[in-house]
Parts: sequence; C-alpha cells; structure tokens
Amino acid sequence: MLRRLIIPGLAGFAAIGGLLSYTAFAEGGKSSSAIVVASNELATVLAPEELEQVGERESFISAYRRLTESQYRHAIADIFGDDIKVEARFEPERREEGLQAVGNAQLSVTTSGLEQYYSLARSISRQVVSAERETDYLPCDVTSSKDAARKCADEFVQEIGGKLYRRPLTKAERTLTLTIWDASAEGKDDYTQAFEHALTSLLISPEFLFRTEVAERVDDSDAFQLDAYSKASRLAFYLWDSPPDAELLEAAARGDLNTLDGLSVQVERLLDSPRFDLGVRAFFTDMLHFESFETLTKDTMTYPKFSQAVADSAREETLRFLIQHLVDDEGDYRDIFTTKKTVLNRTLAAVYNVPYPSREEWTTYEFDEDTERSGILTQVSFAALFSHPGSSSPTLRGKHLQEIFQCTKIPDPPADVDFSKVQAIEEGTVRERLDAHRTDPTCASCHILMDPAGLALENFDSLGQFRTLENGDPIDVSADIFGQEYSGATGVGEYMKSNPQVVSCVVQKAYAYGKGRKNDYREGQFLNSKTEEFADAGYQLKDLFRSLLTDPKFYEVEVPEGLSARTDSASLTTKAPASGGN
Amino acid sequence: MRFSLKTVAAAALVSSLGCGSAMADWHKSYVIEWYEPAHYYGTDTGIVDPGTDCPAGSNPEIDHIKVLIDAGYTEQEAEWLRDQNHPYRLPNHGSNQMAFRGEGRANVYTQPWTYPDPGLTPVSGTISQGVDLDGDKGNGFTSPDGRTGIDNEFYRTVGCWKTYRGPDRLSSGAMTFNDSMREGSWTVAIVVSGSGDDPMNDDDVKVAFYDSQDALVKDGNGEIATDYTFIVSPHKKFEAIFDAKTVDGQIISTEPMDEVWMRDPSYNRELQLLKAQVHLKMEDDGRLTGVFAGYRPWEPVYEGWVRARGTVIESLTWVNLPGVWYALKRNADYSPEGADGEKTHISFAMRVEAVEAYVMHPDADEELTQVASFKDIAVEGPERPYRSFTRDGIVPDKDGVILAGPDAPIVPPTVTREELKSRLAAQKSAASGGQ
Repeated sequence: MLRRLIIPGLAGFAAIGGLLSYTAFAEGGKSSSAIVVASNELATVLAPEELEQVGERESFISAYRRLTESQYRHAIADIFGDDIKVEARFEPERREEGLQAVGNAQLSVTTSGLEQYYSLARSISRQVVSAERETDYLPCDVTSSKDAARKCADEFVQEIGGKLYRRPLTKAERTLTLTIWDASAEGKDDYTQAFEHALTSLLISPEFLFRTEVAERVDDSDAFQLDAYSKASRLAFYLWDSPPDAELLEAAARGDLNTLDGLSVQVERLLDSPRFDLGVRAFFTDMLHFESFETLTKDTMTYPKFSQAVADSAREETLRFLIQHLVDDEGDYRDIFTTKKTVLNRTLAAVYNVPYPSREEWTTYEFDEDTERSGILTQVSFAALFSHPGSSSPTLRGKHLQEIFQCTKIPDPPADVDFSKVQAIEEGTVRERLDAHRTDPTCASCHILMDPAGLALENFDSLGQFRTLENGDPIDVSADIFGQEYSGATGVGEYMKSNPQVVSCVVQKAYAYGKGRKNDYREGQFLNSKTEEFADAGYQLKDLFRSLLTDPKFYEVEVPEGLSARTDSASLTTKAPASGGN
Repeated sequence: MRFSLKTVAAAALVSSLGCGSAMADWHKSYVIEWYEPAHYYGTDTGIVDPGTDCPAGSNPEIDHIKVLIDAGYTEQEAEWLRDQNHPYRLPNHGSNQMAFRGEGRANVYTQPWTYPDPGLTPVSGTISQGVDLDGDKGNGFTSPDGRTGIDNEFYRTVGCWKTYRGPDRLSSGAMTFNDSMREGSWTVAIVVSGSGDDPMNDDDVKVAFYDSQDALVKDGNGEIATDYTFIVSPHKKFEAIFDAKTVDGQIISTEPMDEVWMRDPSYNRELQLLKAQVHLKMEDDGRLTGVFAGYRPWEPVYEGWVRARGTVIESLTWVNLPGVWYALKRNADYSPEGADGEKTHISFAMRVEAVEAYVMHPDADEELTQVASFKDIAVEGPERPYRSFTRDGIVPDKDGVILAGPDAPIVPPTVTREELKSRLAAQKSAASGGQ
C-alpha cells in the first residue's frame, strides 16, 4: 500500500533504516507510474488520494531511472578515477518494449540489490578516502581541528555530492549528510571514517542510484518539460553513457539548456567528444539485447571453437563495427546489413576462418566481395545470440530481425507446441524440420514473419561459421519475404537495407531509449518527421541523435492525470538551487 | 581440407624467395599442436606394459638404495639419503648426494664415464616410425605402413625408458613438453607450398617450419583450435626448410637438408638435425601428420636430462642416467666427419601432428603463400637456451651451498641442519687452508 514516504538516501545510510526505506520505495515507487513530488526539502511519494493536490505544483518528479551497470561504473570512474575498483554483482536489468532503457524506468531496488549497492558504496568510499587517495578528493587534512574538518566536510559533501547527484545538493541533503559525518566524527581525532561514512551515504542514495527526472512547468502554460539538470543528465547518459561533466552542469545552472542555442552547443560538444563512443555502445548494447551474452553458451562438441573469449570478442566486434561504420566512417545506417567490412581480433578471425592481418589486438577487416558475409546479420554476435546451443535457429533469428530492427513484436508461441520434430537436429536440414511452420495455419500466421529470413541465414551455423551443408544435405537459403524472392544472407541484407521499417524502427528506438518509456501513438507524426530528417541526412546516426536531442519534444514530460490544472496557490519547486540549496 | 590456390606474379615470388626457384601457386599452412619422438608402442594396453617393442615392458623403477650401496655408500647412509621423510634430512642434500656415486665420488651426471655402464634395455622390436636416412633398405626398422630401412637408433636406445615409452601422446615426457607448448610457451608454424596444379601430387614442394611468437589457443574441448593466425617470427636458428614432393597427399623429401634446427620439445630446447628429411601427410580432415627426421647430436640429449636435475629425473622416470649416456654413445650411428669419424649423432625422428592455421608473413599484413627464408631479417639477439636452476645436475640450496659432494659428510640422522652446515663450513675452511 502506497504511503507518504521520505526517499531514503537523505535519511542516512544507517543500514536498517536505509533498507526499510528502500523496501518501501521499492514497493511504492513504481517510478513513472507513481507521482513523486519534490520540494526543496525532501522528495516524497504521494498516496493516490493526494494526487488531486498535485495540480498545484510547479514541478514534479516524472521518472526514476535506475543507473545501468555501465552508467554506474562510468560515474565512479569519472568522479573518482578509473583505478577505483567497482566489484559487485549488479541486479539484472529489465527489458520492456524491446529496450532496457524503458524497463529500467520501471525498476526499483530489491533488498538484496540494496545490500549489493551498500557493500559497493562502502568499498568505494574506503578506496576514495584511503591514504593513497585521500589527498586527491579530500580538500583538507583529516587530522586537523574538528572545526576545520567540519568545514572541509561541508565542501566535500557539496562538491562530491553535486557530482554524484548530478545537481547541487539541497540544503536538507547537505545537512543530513553532514549529520552522518558529525555522528561518525564524534570523539575522534582522525576524521577519515567520518568522510567515508558521509560518502557512503551519498553513494547509497537513490539520488545517485537513480536518474531522478524532474519536470517543471513551461512558462505559464500547462505543459511540462525536464528541468535543466534533468536535461543535462539525459543528454550525458544518452551520448556518453556517463553523468554530466562540469561544463554541462554549469550550462544547466546558467539555464543554457533551456534555450535551443545553448542546448545545441552542448549536444554538439558531446557528439564531438571521443566519449560519444560510450553512448553509441550503450545504445546498441541495449537495442541488440547484448545482455544475453551473459548467458550465451554453445555445445562445444558441435562448436569446438566456442569459448568465453569468442563470446566476449563477438560482443566487442559488433560494438566496434558500429562505432567504426556509423561514427568514424559516418556510414549509412542501412549499410550495417550489407557491408563486407567489420572489425576483428585474432579470436574471431579463427571463427570466420580468415587470416588475421595485424599485430594489433583489433583491426578493420573487409571480407571478400564474393563471400556470403553481410554486415551485422552474419556477425558472430547475431548468429550466435539468436541460435540454440546446439543448432542454429531460423525462427529465433527471424524473430529478432523483426523485433530488434523492424520494431515488430512477435507473439510468444502457444503453450502446447510440440517441438520434438524441430529439435531432432541430427538429420536433414532445418528447413525440412520447420515444415509445419509453413503448413499448419496456426503456426504459419506468425512464422511467416520469421522463418523465411531466418532460413536464408542458414549458411551460418549457431556460431556464425559459414557452411553449405547440414547433416550432409545441401542448405537451401532461398526465401520468399512478403512476396519478394531473396537468397542467402546477402539477400536478407538487401531486404533489410531497402525496408523503410528498418529505418523508422531505429528512430523509434533512439527516441524511446532517450525518454525511457514506450513511444506513444500520438508521437507517430513526430517520429515520422524525424525519420524523414534521418533519411534526408543520409541515414547518419549522429544526425539522428542530434535531431532528437535538440528537439524540445525530447524533453517534454507528459502530464499525469490530475496535474494539468494549475492554481495560483502553487508555489513549490523542485529545481535544485544552483547555489546549493540555500 | 583447405587449400589456397593462387597465381602469384613470378617476379614477386622470385623476389620473396631470394632465388630463382619455381613459382608456387598453392599453399597450405598449419601449426604444430603436438610433436614427440617418433616411437612405436608395441601393445594395445597401458602405458608401460610389455609389448613387441619392449617384451619386458618399460624399464623398471631403479632401486636407488642398491645403486648407492653399489657405489660404496653404507646401507645406513644410503637409506638416509633416500629417506624423503626424515625430519633431519636437509632439503636437496640426500637428493644431491645421489650425483656423487662415480669413481672417487665423482659426479656421475657430469662425468658419467666414472661410473660403470649400468645398461639400458633397448627396444628389441622391428617396427618404428621414421625415415630411411641412410638410403640402406637393409638396415633399421620397418615402418608401421611397411617401409623398410627406417633409421631411428634414438628409439632403439631410449624406447623402453618410461619417459619416452607409451602410446602416441601418452608418454610422460611428451605430455610434459607438449603441455608447455600448448599453454603458450612456444609455437612452430608450418607452411607447405608447391607449384603444380594438383597439391596432392606435385614434384616441386617446399615445407617450412617457422618460429612464431603467437601462442597456441585451445578450443572449448581443450584441444588446439584450428584456423588461428600465426605470424612468422624470423629466427636465426629455428627455421627449417625442406625440399619435397607430394605423392597422394604425402609430403616426401626429395633430398636431405644438410642441417636444420628446430625447437625441440625437451629440456634441451634446440634440436639440430643433419641430413634431415620429412615424411608427412596432408590428411583429409585437414590435419598434417607424419615425421621429420635426421641425425641429432646425442650428447645434448643426455645433458638436457642432467640439466633438468638428474637426480629427480632418475627417480621419476625410472632410469639410471649414466646408462643413458652409455647407450646413446653406443648406438650413435652418424658422424659429420664421415664414416670413420666419431659418431656424435644418432638417427632420430619426430612425430608431428599439426592443425590447419593461417601463417602470416613477418610483416603480419599478408598470408605467407609460399615458403621463404626469413633468417636474413632475423634480429640479432640473445639465443633462448634453456635456463636451468640446477648446477651440474643438482640444485644448490637457498644459501648457495651445495650440501653434497665427494667429501660431503654423510651424517647420521640426528644431526640438525645448523650442525651440518657448521661442519661443512669447517670442512671447507680446512680445505682452503683456513682462509
């Protein structure tokens, strides 16, 4: 049952209290579906009966988006240095509507997850204040007088807290964090532990672990948009997969991000940074379901070349390939399905059965023009992820071609499907085994969306190795895809490249990825126009991102029911004061 | 089986080879995943069982107490020296003292001739892998596939010694060294190239064995993965090129190479072969199998085992090392000086198993599609000899004092380490005139 609740991080990191608060938060804070009101004191989750009063607010918290593992790691590395060890098992993320970015906006923290965060926070804090590093992060001598140390602690909390929370701390947040420092410093001559505890409380706070997106009223209208700091975070996490840097926070503080010019300057700066690669990695890691690499396995009797090194390399290949093609070479997005170019290491060269022509760990590579290799479709990542451990799977490949690249949701199979014939992989080809998919009308309605393209990829086994035979029988890679005849992976590549749905899909995903929620049908026109812009710009990824991130609609916040009416009595604001909450 | 057939500009080829040899238009490349002395195990069971090669089985474990007593030690001394569990036994002491059993307590590892030949039971079978090195079909062994005149006196000499005996890939010595190679210690890449239209039957073939710094990689089943890439690492010594032909996929030397050097899978590391030949086969499954053979110097073989710590080798591999020295010397069958010269070399064959691989030119940017020598571009530098932690076949203790020797006190078991060291120091001081 939802109750008024003080969000915990500010209530200190005292373990039991923190756990209780988090538990309540987990139960009640179904983030985007709940209404969370922020004041300049404390963030509060409202009970349903209180929603009616929300209309008086000038701002509200529109979403809590849990940091992904990579975002957490990047944040710690940015703030404290990349030599800080982040050793923990992160809670699994959740995929909704084809994206973890959407699922993560629905996530809270389980009690075991909180234990992990707490343990990790303590570990990081210890490292930060350790004798080897304390001079880097503590602005004073930890053995100085208590008054001096307290003043120093205040500076520390403001500076580090601001980086962790990605905005200046409110006065209440500062006070509460310093209360923890005071409690730990009591009776001590060395205040190292007090700093450690204060930092732990910041690291365990939801304000760090979640991207709190605050919506504010636009001028005097009924519309809401993200406040400047939330925009800064959205930008930075989108383009760098990292928290905003000092320059972006300063731009937020100045209000630059609320003007198109100011916003454009920052978007351009972020796009031009080498760190943009991190953002591209994160986007495609999400879009391509690369969390599945965590559980990827193959039957090594059938695929002896498979190893963890191959799995790790395959993931890396595709990400490097996408950065190389889409960012470095400014290639056409559609060509990712047809190009003969990729980025290889020695391990993958063995799987692809080609010589590795470099002493470097990775190198660009171009397959011969007459090979069946066709962009991402025949990379080990796609071929292996969407196959079974002991055999390829035209159905899985076809399904994911639809869902990942064409935004077509394929329903789950009925519960009473007899898989025995499909699983008899010792004889014949899979095309024969999947005959029922074509002849049984119940199956055919869905499988006609999946199997033809998947069967055309059958020259590539469960590990992405080229083959022409299955169980000694020739493999037929012809395909009738919606009335058009295609052959083999190169044929599927051409089909994908010429399919407008493939283009509109990546626009839809890029938009939903940034907003952290499912696209609304009312946004169709907007997305169509962005798709046209994308096409006009030569299907350049940077242009797509630029177009989305400089559009005010990207920062618009849908007003929950009950919040549209405004009364003159409204006065609360959630904008964290640039001065630090005073 | 993967063949690469290429038409290469003759000029480029000649330039690459540095000579005017015929153009090669096919090649095949491999990496050695296992190689071991080519020995024939004459039974289907076990690893030391009696067989046609060694009717009494592998040479039995040595009674080292008897060996010591025969060498003049008292029974009490011998038992103490061999008592691994004695609380007052000094590290290395008893083991080290094993070396000093020659005439006048000479070190038998470095001076095996000071010790009477204890014998080493030779192979008595007639079958051996290998190559007819001397062209005489009337001597030597018969190969498992029926070729006669196989010269492999090395096998005859040590083939019943436990460390060398066993089914293919199962002798303890081969496993030890191949494990090391398969874990990445060294790599031998092979390129076979020819000029004919049919790689399986070509009169003009070259086979090269190259050093590579790229480690072998194991697949998901622990075997060496195929199709990995290896860059040739030019080496002044470890490069062996053979002239050959192919007959039904078998690669057969057309003339012996006067001298080649290989990376030896042994404590000796370096393998010199005189009058070297290959007899390999490109298998249908893509593997390369067979042997390379020649006359190897026999003394480094013995020295390798001594350097590996003679006393441990004797205990673990059931051998009386001076017996190996005598046997190798006795069976040596080749002299570089001619028929009347001292037989410093012994006929030998190495069994090879290699998997398909890509072998790259030293520049790493293109596949090596034809055999060529890269010795001329090898960087001068230190050789890579085996670095032993032993001295004269024994291990100095951590204080740098070898508590063993011709005059070492063979003491009763109640003497403590400190007392023993004190006695030794006094002994050394006296020997040096108190200085």
